Amino acid sequence: MVQSESIVSAYAPPFRIVAKYFVAAIISFVVLNLLLLLNYSSISGHHFQPKILSINHIATLGWITMIIFGAMFQLVPVVLETKLFSEKLAEIQFWIYLPGVIGFVYCFWVFDTGFNMTFFATLLNLAMFIFSFNIILTMKSVKSWNVTGWFLAAAIFYLIVTAIAGLLLAINLWTPYIKLSHLQYLNLHAHIAFIGWISMVIMGVSFKLIPMFTLSHGYSLTHAKLAFWMINIGLFGIAATMLFEKTTNLYYTFILLVVLGIIFFLLQIHIIFKNRIRKKFDIGIKFSSAAYFMLGLTTVLGTFIAFVDYESIINLTLVYGYMIIFGYISMLIVGQMYKIVPFLVWYHKYSSKVGLEPVSMLKDMFIEKFAEIEFYLMLTAVFCSLYSLAFRSEIGLLISFSLMLISSIIFLFNMIAIFRK
Amino acid sequence: MLKGVIDPEIGINIVDLGLVSEVESKADVNIITMTLTTPGCPMHSSISTWVENVIGHFEPEKKVVINLVSEPLWTPDKMTREARQQLGM
Repeated sequence: MVQSESIVSAYAPPFRIVAKYFVAAIISFVVLNLLLLLNYSSISGHHFQPKILSINHIATLGWITMIIFGAMFQLVPVVLETKLFSEKLAEIQFWIYLPGVIGFVYCFWVFDTGFNMTFFATLLNLAMFIFSFNIILTMKSVKSWNVTGWFLAAAIFYLIVTAIAGLLLAINLWTPYIKLSHLQYLNLHAHIAFIGWISMVIMGVSFKLIPMFTLSHGYSLTHAKLAFWMINIGLFGIAATMLFEKTTNLYYTFILLVVLGIIFFLLQIHIIFKNRIRKKFDIGIKFSSAAYFMLGLTTVLGTFIAFVDYESIINLTLVYGYMIIFGYISMLIVGQMYKIVPFLVWYHKYSSKVGLEPVSMLKDMFIEKFAEIEFYLMLTAVFCSLYSLAFRSEIGLLISFSLMLISSIIFLFNMIAIFRK
Repeated sequence: MLKGVIDPEIGINIVDLGLVSEVESKADVNIITMTLTTPGCPMHSSISTWVENVIGHFEPEKKVVINLVSEPLWTPDKMTREARQQLGM
């Protein structure tokens, strides 16, 4: 009896470490929406503006990457059936990463592109290196690899590439040395972050969690494997050809390969959903499927952008960025959090009582009706923001950013309710 | 008594889900043969611990052995009619 109990605790890290990352991430999400609302009239024009860059990094570093760190500390040991290499490093990393994020986004906000920005970018790099080191050493002891493992291992590689590229860009703003255009490198930095780092994690984790949540059975993972190779070869090809000559046929071929990889990922998700036993969509699955749909739309827009002179179409990059960050990634994170956080808290609290006395079910851990309202508010806010950005409607942005802020506060409220259960 | 062990995610107990394939009660030991819905399910050690706890609670004098098998794979048709109705099948 005691033995299997210790296997549980041996695999998963202490809840307080994971919770720290989750709390910081959820607060970042609310702050990010508040700043968007307070500055709604400045969210227009070219994307290379201090406030837009600052808010974008609150989203990517404070919200998205922060939550991935927490989730990976929890999921990598459990899914790959091994112990996290070091809990202490996970703790230390947090206290380097958090000031790094705050300092870095502040530097963008006031556009202090001198020593300070490079200093905070170095802190971020240090934290990301510690993370990668910790996860790689955790993966070293994995006995049986699965598709999820491949995707997560690749994601770590891209995290490091993104971090180094970001640091080099920060140094370039301080003392220019990059011969190619700064914006072109920025484009590469952003795409490696979104497709390489964030999407690789999302894809790998989706293959594990979606079948579990929907009870899906009897399908093959061929599409997932093809997606893996297409996206990776495509990203390498894009990076390599960009360093030489941008507009070659080879460059466009690699872009199409990445697009095809994303389509194969979506097909795999479709197959998993088709084979599900649990027909009813709960709130977590609703958010997630909306996010996959938005990934499809974003990919269509991204393909278009690759073939046109996107900087000449006003606000096109903002529409694209908003779609990625809010429509696709944030919807997915919120959905997965509604599945993962209640389980972690539930496990912490009730696991020892199962079968011996009545315990709460996961769906009783938060008010599903509020989450339902949040879902429709968020969906409305996403489409309304995209319309307002595309057609430059300030009043539209004011309304949609308000809706998004309200939905993020409902999310915060529900998460607090779960934590206090 | 194993009906008290409910999968918290699905809200259905492990017996109706068809996860328990055999219960063998001997003089000094209870042997439970069971499987899980997904191979490598993160819940694997939790669910077996719960089963051990429950059996151990009712018959503390006997040892509990959980035989977690991956073959034959769990399939939806192992579920009872009630469980299927609950899932909206």
